[in-house]
Amino acid sequence: MYMKLAYRNMKRSARDYLVYLLTMTLISALMYTFNSLLFQNDLKKYWDSEEMMEVMVALATVFIILVTAWLIGYMVRFMMEKRSGEFGIYLLLGMKKSSLANLYLRENILLGFISLLSGILLGILLRQVLMAVLFSMMGMAYRLHIALHPGTLIMTFVSFGCCYLLSLSRCRRKFKKMSIHSLMEARRKNEEIREKYEPAKRLLLPLSILFILLFWKLFGSLESNGDTALFLTGLVITIYLFYTGLSAFIICYIRKRGSLIYRGANLFLLRQFASRVRTMQFTMGTLTVLFTLALMGSSLALMFGSWQALLLDRKYPFDILLYSSDPGDTFEREIQFLEEKVTPLEVYPYRIYTDGDNQVNAWMLTHLSAWGTMYQNPDGSPDMAQISDFLENRGIYCLCDTYMGLSDYNHLRRMLGYEEIELNDNEYAVQIKERLEKEVQGIGDDLVLAGVPEAFDPASGSDAALAAGTPLLTCAGIYADPFSQDGHNGCDYLIIVPDEVLARMYPYYSELAVDIEGTAPPRLREELDTLRDARTAAFREADSSLCGNMGYGSDIIFVFLAVNAVKDNLTASIAYMLASVTIPLFYISLVFLCVAVTVLSVQQLSDSANYKFRYDVLRKLGLKENAIRTLILRQLTAYYLCPALFAVVISGKMVLFAGERFVMMTGVPVSSYSFLLKSIALFLGIYLSYFAVTCVSFMRNIRGGLH
Amino acid sequence: MDHYIRICDIEKYYGSASHATKAIDRLSFAVNRGEFVGVMGASGSGKTTLLNLLAAIDRVSAGHIFYENIDITELSEDALSDFRKNNLGFVFQEYNLLDTLTMEENISLALTLRGVAKKDVQEASAGLMKLLGIEEIRDKFPYQVSGGQKQRCACARALANDPKLLLADEPTGALDSLSSQTLLETFERLNKTLRTTILMVTHDAFSASYCRRILFLRDGKIFHELLRGEKPRQRFLQEILDVLSLTGGSAGENL
Repeated sequence: MYMKLAYRNMKRSARDYLVYLLTMTLISALMYTFNSLLFQNDLKKYWDSEEMMEVMVALATVFIILVTAWLIGYMVRFMMEKRSGEFGIYLLLGMKKSSLANLYLRENILLGFISLLSGILLGILLRQVLMAVLFSMMGMAYRLHIALHPGTLIMTFVSFGCCYLLSLSRCRRKFKKMSIHSLMEARRKNEEIREKYEPAKRLLLPLSILFILLFWKLFGSLESNGDTALFLTGLVITIYLFYTGLSAFIICYIRKRGSLIYRGANLFLLRQFASRVRTMQFTMGTLTVLFTLALMGSSLALMFGSWQALLLDRKYPFDILLYSSDPGDTFEREIQFLEEKVTPLEVYPYRIYTDGDNQVNAWMLTHLSAWGTMYQNPDGSPDMAQISDFLENRGIYCLCDTYMGLSDYNHLRRMLGYEEIELNDNEYAVQIKERLEKEVQGIGDDLVLAGVPEAFDPASGSDAALAAGTPLLTCAGIYADPFSQDGHNGCDYLIIVPDEVLARMYPYYSELAVDIEGTAPPRLREELDTLRDARTAAFREADSSLCGNMGYGSDIIFVFLAVNAVKDNLTASIAYMLASVTIPLFYISLVFLCVAVTVLSVQQLSDSANYKFRYDVLRKLGLKENAIRTLILRQLTAYYLCPALFAVVISGKMVLFAGERFVMMTGVPVSSYSFLLKSIALFLGIYLSYFAVTCVSFMRNIRGGLH
Repeated sequence: MDHYIRICDIEKYYGSASHATKAIDRLSFAVNRGEFVGVMGASGSGKTTLLNLLAAIDRVSAGHIFYENIDITELSEDALSDFRKNNLGFVFQEYNLLDTLTMEENISLALTLRGVAKKDVQEASAGLMKLLGIEEIRDKFPYQVSGGQKQRCACARALANDPKLLLADEPTGALDSLSSQTLLETFERLNKTLRTTILMVTHDAFSASYCRRILFLRDGKIFHELLRGEKPRQRFLQEILDVLSLTGGSAGENL
């Protein structure tokens, strides 16, 4: 009998709380889809050493379980309150509290089970979409491959079960405390509007706004972690107090009989809004936090995504580029190996030179925004002691400046399809990373680069280089075409000089650039690494990488030091690593967003009985159908917009700050606003779908059963 | 005689063609300006249906209802809304006050919906609250006041638009006897001093005794009519009870 009752009640709940059911279905579908990355990752075979995706998905799952458990807990309490009268009747009829608790638990578990099963079916389809997206991110083709994996299923069941276990554990205790009278009275009490100390509470609104303004002004300039933590705690408190202040502010405005309330149905709307915000101020605060996190998560994912879309291809312009710290390396074994594995169209070994000085390094460290004023004396001149320490210990730049001969440079430019450049005898050029092009415009004014003295004897080497009468070179141009400058063709920069100037410099290290036909086989880079390890074992003693001819430049967020850079392997591998950050971030954002909007929708829809009565009264007072529809739309819009707008204001600052840093550090050619705007657009898509469903159901509920 | 409202041969059916229930059966009567008319009848006699038709909340199946020269059965939904807004006031058994608004705000809203200016809204609602004796509870919410006070507030709201007709559906149904008496005396006063036309549906003889004329309804038809004339209220009450004792039982059994 109880089972039948539970089933019937569940069916009713499913109808009344359709939005909740759909969201739970979506969440379980997402859980299945992303859990499949742990067990059925078709890409894993290409990167079996990368565990990052698994770790990130597992981490995301923990957050999602917590938030979903909150949603279920919220809904269980919510439905319990709404049905308190009904529960009172069950108890009145003689049902025991334990049986009632069991009945309610059964209903909820049944509801969960239905959403889990339908979610898994949807998840199987979604998984195909996710794999197709992932494969296309790696630049690979994906063939549909529908399969159920017991691991994925068990993991989804366990995750979903955890959500229910966490949220339902307190339910039984709640039933124990209930009395028939309190159950019957509960509903009436919900309607009571308590207004106390409103003028005092009203002050919370300007205070919250003040704090938010302060947050916009100061966030990013806080120096210690303690300050930041304190500020963020203040922010969370502000989020919650904002709603108390807002509601009190509106109530005070109405009490003061402000002019706005005497226009049309404004009085009704404002009262409705204030009382709604008042009764669920804590929930509104939590929703704002969830929206904020969702916006931040998706913005971060978009940042990484934009780097991948716009810059990853440009990071490795050469098909294959091999580094050797041995300046005399001829790469014979590598060339032989490559000829066996791929079809080289062109093989070009060359050297990077140095003059043993580090004035260019010092210039970079004192002029690039990445380093700020860290390596400057108070008067702005280079702090050479700190610079030497940096160069020796950090491995970011080579110890000495890096140069390339014009003929090598032009040859490489030809390989990449760029136009060749011309230099006169007394000129040099700068090849710089795209990101830094704007920052090095003044380099030509500062550098003092020596040419070749007229009576130069190559045999005496560079010691004679700066002898008296040495002509100085002038800067003929700055080139920022992608040129593999993460340690291969210099770190951040290369100074291009006429070949004759090289005569007075040391060869610093060797490089081999290879242009191949078609794409490289998947594991070519690892094979080249093994080959190099074997070959250089004997050479390692004298390996001058230890003497500082290796570095990776000033990139901070994406640093991938590859001695053997095989474009096809690296771009796919980095794309996979990026996907393991962006995909879980989107996953979290999506679930957080859906959970929050579901609570908003359910709140409105479940109260439609009250609203129906209120709108019916308005209708009797002579409000037209159109006006009522507009009023409903205004009510829902205000209710939906409030936490979303607040979240945009809060996350906006953080996203813009992170975006600016991201753009500065990576050189992604987009505005930091674009991440925020795109996130909001994505957010709006989902938000509007829920809003539309809520609006339609709301109007239907209001219209149904009138007169 | 100045016929203010004319109900001409109206019918109202519910249900489908095969199972139609006739709620109002070819009913005709007229209400004069400034009259206080009561409609009595057992449950199911059609009195609330009649009120809904007069209030333009429901549509007639046949017949016409004229307010002066306007036939409301011919009006569109939007025009009906305007008509309700400008001509009718409602008082219901369940008060129908908005729980999110205070007493004063409930009255003000009826005026702001009609686009009345702020100053006039404040003056009018203050006047109505004074008239109905609810000034002291102006800032209370419905849940904080008694049923009688709620009903007087509903009454004030109904009067806010200076209606041609005040429609009351079992207004004392949820009130104790003292509150009922206060409300009915208020109705009587409104009718006498402001010449408000009132049509009240009730099944309570005591309430009905405050009316000037009573229509008795059975099976959707008027089967009797009582006029108070110059009779004292107690005698009129006795007459009503006599009619009910003669017919009430059979009306109930017919249901």
